[in-house]
Amino acid sequence: MIPRSFEYLRPSTLQEAVQLLDKYEESKILAGGQSLIALMKLRLASPKYIIDITRIPGLSYVKEEGNKILIGPLTTHDTVENSPIIRNKCPILSEAASRIGDQQIRNRGTIAGTLCHADPSADVPTTFLALDGEVVAMGKDGERVIKAKDFFQDFFTTALNPNEVVKEVRVPVLPPKTGTAYIKHARREGDFAIVAVAAIITLDENNVCKSASISLGSVGPTPLRAVEVENALVGKKLTDEVIVAASELADRGISPPSDIHGSAEYRAEMAKVFTKRAIRLALSRIGG
Amino acid sequence: MTEALLSKEIPVPRKWVGTPIKAKEFPRLITGQGRYVDDIKIPNMLYAALLRSPYAHAKIKRIDTSKAEKLPGVVAIVTQEDVLKYCKPYPQIVPPPADKLLDYCIAVDKVRFAGEPVAAVAATERAIAEDACELIEVEYEPLPPVMDAEEALKPDAPLVHEEVGTNLVWHEVFDYGDVDKAFAEADKVISLKLHHHRYGGAPTETHAVVADYDKGTGVLTIYCNNQMPMFCMALIGLSFNMPTDKIRIITPDIGGGFGSKILSYTYMMLISILAMKAGRPVKWMEDRRENLASGTHCNEATFYVEAAVKKDGTILGIKAKTLHDVGAYLRYEPVGALLWIQVSSGPYRFKNLRMDVNAIVTNKGPVAPIRGYGRIQHLWMLERTVEQVARQLGLDPIEVKLKNYVRPEEMPYVSPSGATYDSGDYPTALKKALQMINYDEWRRKQPELWRQGRFVGIGAALFQDSGTNNFAQVRLIYKNNPFSGNSRMAEMWMDEFGRIIVAVGSNPHGQCHETVVSQVVADVFGVTPDDVFVVPGFDSWVHGWTGHSGSYASQFAVSGIGAVLGAAKRLREKIATIAAHMLKAKPEDLEFKEGKVCVKGTDRCVAFWQVANLAYRNNLELPEGVEPGLRVIYTWKAPFKLPDLEKKTVNATLTYSYQAHACVVEVDPETGKVKILDYAVVDDCGVPINPHIVEGQVHGSTMNGIAAALFEEYVYSKDTGQLLASTFMDYLFPTALEIPDIKVDHMISPSPFTELGTKGVGEGSLVPLGSIAGAIEDALSPLGVVITDSHNPPERIYRMIKEAQKKRK
Repeated sequence: MIPRSFEYLRPSTLQEAVQLLDKYEESKILAGGQSLIALMKLRLASPKYIIDITRIPGLSYVKEEGNKILIGPLTTHDTVENSPIIRNKCPILSEAASRIGDQQIRNRGTIAGTLCHADPSADVPTTFLALDGEVVAMGKDGERVIKAKDFFQDFFTTALNPNEVVKEVRVPVLPPKTGTAYIKHARREGDFAIVAVAAIITLDENNVCKSASISLGSVGPTPLRAVEVENALVGKKLTDEVIVAASELADRGISPPSDIHGSAEYRAEMAKVFTKRAIRLALSRIGG
Repeated sequence: MTEALLSKEIPVPRKWVGTPIKAKEFPRLITGQGRYVDDIKIPNMLYAALLRSPYAHAKIKRIDTSKAEKLPGVVAIVTQEDVLKYCKPYPQIVPPPADKLLDYCIAVDKVRFAGEPVAAVAATERAIAEDACELIEVEYEPLPPVMDAEEALKPDAPLVHEEVGTNLVWHEVFDYGDVDKAFAEADKVISLKLHHHRYGGAPTETHAVVADYDKGTGVLTIYCNNQMPMFCMALIGLSFNMPTDKIRIITPDIGGGFGSKILSYTYMMLISILAMKAGRPVKWMEDRRENLASGTHCNEATFYVEAAVKKDGTILGIKAKTLHDVGAYLRYEPVGALLWIQVSSGPYRFKNLRMDVNAIVTNKGPVAPIRGYGRIQHLWMLERTVEQVARQLGLDPIEVKLKNYVRPEEMPYVSPSGATYDSGDYPTALKKALQMINYDEWRRKQPELWRQGRFVGIGAALFQDSGTNNFAQVRLIYKNNPFSGNSRMAEMWMDEFGRIIVAVGSNPHGQCHETVVSQVVADVFGVTPDDVFVVPGFDSWVHGWTGHSGSYASQFAVSGIGAVLGAAKRLREKIATIAAHMLKAKPEDLEFKEGKVCVKGTDRCVAFWQVANLAYRNNLELPEGVEPGLRVIYTWKAPFKLPDLEKKTVNATLTYSYQAHACVVEVDPETGKVKILDYAVVDDCGVPINPHIVEGQVHGSTMNGIAAALFEEYVYSKDTGQLLASTFMDYLFPTALEIPDIKVDHMISPSPFTELGTKGVGEGSLVPLGSIAGAIEDALSPLGVVITDSHNPPERIYRMIKEAQKKRK
């Protein structure tokens, strides 16, 4: 349980980190290390170069700008969970962060780290997709913004180029009359989800569903938007019949994996159950 | 048989026995000052890593270590060739043909489970040793694995051990009472197929060894955390080409065992060979994946059960065919397949029992004597059977249990297999546990909850925790096995300055023996526990030991304390003799109090240090014929008899603690997830020496049982033979968030067979396996779901619900 040997590099700026990424193939950014170190100890990942960005100043922050919340890449899950801005303006992200692993992991793990690791059963990626969040990527040739729907490409694979780092994570300030819920089905509290659902529901002044964003975790190679469920909600009064009927569509377009905690078939059924529960919970949280 | 033990020579006033003092061990263990094997550093020491088989079943065609040897820092590599030079195969306790089974501390010619050691490397750093393992080339010829006990019995099944010629390594039929008559007289016969799953102990500290071979003296010192090393000495002694007097075993603090640490003798030998080959001391710390993959699993068992019953729920008799999947090697087996004999009718009073017992090898990891060893499987089977009897007769399972329990007035009760249940009141304990969860209230509310679609159920079970085993029971496996009884050795002395020191060397790994020994000794000498020093750890050159020594089988409060009491009385007698001479009084007129020996009813006293000074430094003033010094050894022997090999009966255990558990669970019908709403335990372990420590054991075994029932399972791939629950991400050790508050209450039924009325406590027999299965079945009773597996994860329950709903439509 000791990693294979590697070179340890410690840049002092993000630009320098990008240069190192560009210079060395088989290099990997070390942020919170909560997934990477475990993989290295199991020798499932053996990067030749570790680029430790944890000492770069100014990469941990949460601030509101216009209708967006800007989050520094090294912001820990614990900070995300407890940030008053996120709690008030985008509570679902705080809720998702609170469900990650345990307190020790939340003290170390970072928001950009979990997004870049792109585990389809992790808590933040699923929520980030429902939020239509954005990642600001920084490379040798400058910066670009990647939308959540384009960011996750496959199991543990993102749209980042090998020589790009995440400079910032952005999520929207949620509009009024919005309710959100992130729930997951897991054997133990801190486990990766068997199925996870992030639901964001906004009603109009007549309490008709104005927008619905439902994202499912652990049912495919990336977090997936349950588009058919969303379509079945928008424009309707969300009676329980509507919610139940919409949730029945949650297994459309998913390709769940099978493991010892849940077969593909079971996950498909749980996707429906937890979609229904997440929508109900989100709806119940919409204030006056 | 009990009279001899009930010695009344020195009445022991009970000031400290029964008092919940804080454990002496806690401050050092909790503040990180414990000393474990990994804390041992010897100059020039190397670090080892093991290369393990990626296959469940394969021939080893070739092992090439040349690249690994060239890696800078690598000092020695051990493979099968070296092991064959140093070792004979381990002796087996089974009758022919399985006695031919070849087992070594490393895979020889063939690998038989995924994770079996194939090579061991010693290097100057652990990281280098791990790198070197990757450079060892092993050419395997994969063979089809056999991953199921029933499959293994088929004529065309792959053989795990060709030298045996069959995968059935032990078969025996035990027939008690008149089973045929019971079935002829039955109103109804209930049949069930049940499966008890594989889970384990998962101790905080994994296996660990430091081996140090001293060429000059030829002495091999093994520092390890084996919980029963001197029993293992027989295996080591018979397998190693090395005189046992030159083998010294030391155990420091041990971080949990749960029975898994009995099997580490294979590692003790493998690392010793590495140290001898390297000519330097070697340390090996097992990592968690290795620990999960090998030697920490409990016996997996399949049961075909039939119960003959009367309409009123009276059980007349039970027939059971059991198939124990013991994994790739026997190691401690087939004892686990036999140990039901300690609790043959469980807490019940039926007299007719036929057990058709089969131990079967497969390509899974070898099993270990895990907490509740061999009894849990059987007790869980009985509990499931009795509950199904009730349900199929339309009776309340709890009423049926109470009806069939052994009555308190029948104690001591001789079970069908000849085991004597010493004391207890099972019906009262169960009723008490039910009261603690407000049973009547839940039963009243239950129909309304069902109408609301809430599946809430109540379960209750009582398991015995049989303690202090009679080793003679293994003669029922093979009559030639040369062991029997049980014993413990204790040494005690008063030093020249009047201090009392005790050495029991019991290899505790969380049981707080230092505390309970000092409580017992304090009462004998009229001092406080702080005045008694119990030597921590074990050293085979320092501590007296027998082949039964160690910490296992819920027994220290009986056997260990038996030895301590024997030694204490011996020492007290000698002190009294000398003090009587000094005080010019009769020994029987003396009393021990506050560090002094006094003539009763007077103020004529001598202090311990004065007596001790006379005994050692001033010995010309000793009375005629009294040997100087105040140091005694006592070997306690359990009052057992040899088994009746004809009837196959044996008094297999001396004491029977028991726990009654009651719980309320709610099953989520949409997901199959079980939530525990309330949990209560009533524990009776006779006279508790330290109720605080007993409570810890009760909590621990309850948590262990909840974990087994709902979270922990060693799942294997049936096709590839790979262990799928190979890390703590998939082997779901529960956290505090998964375990409910546990209400605990106690009853005290002193054992008539032990001096202080104590019984062993520790295993607790994982009663939640019974109570939770019963509660789930009760919750889902409107659907008629039958729980047949001891492990019930959400998807399994979900499928049962869906199946039942489909049938109802």
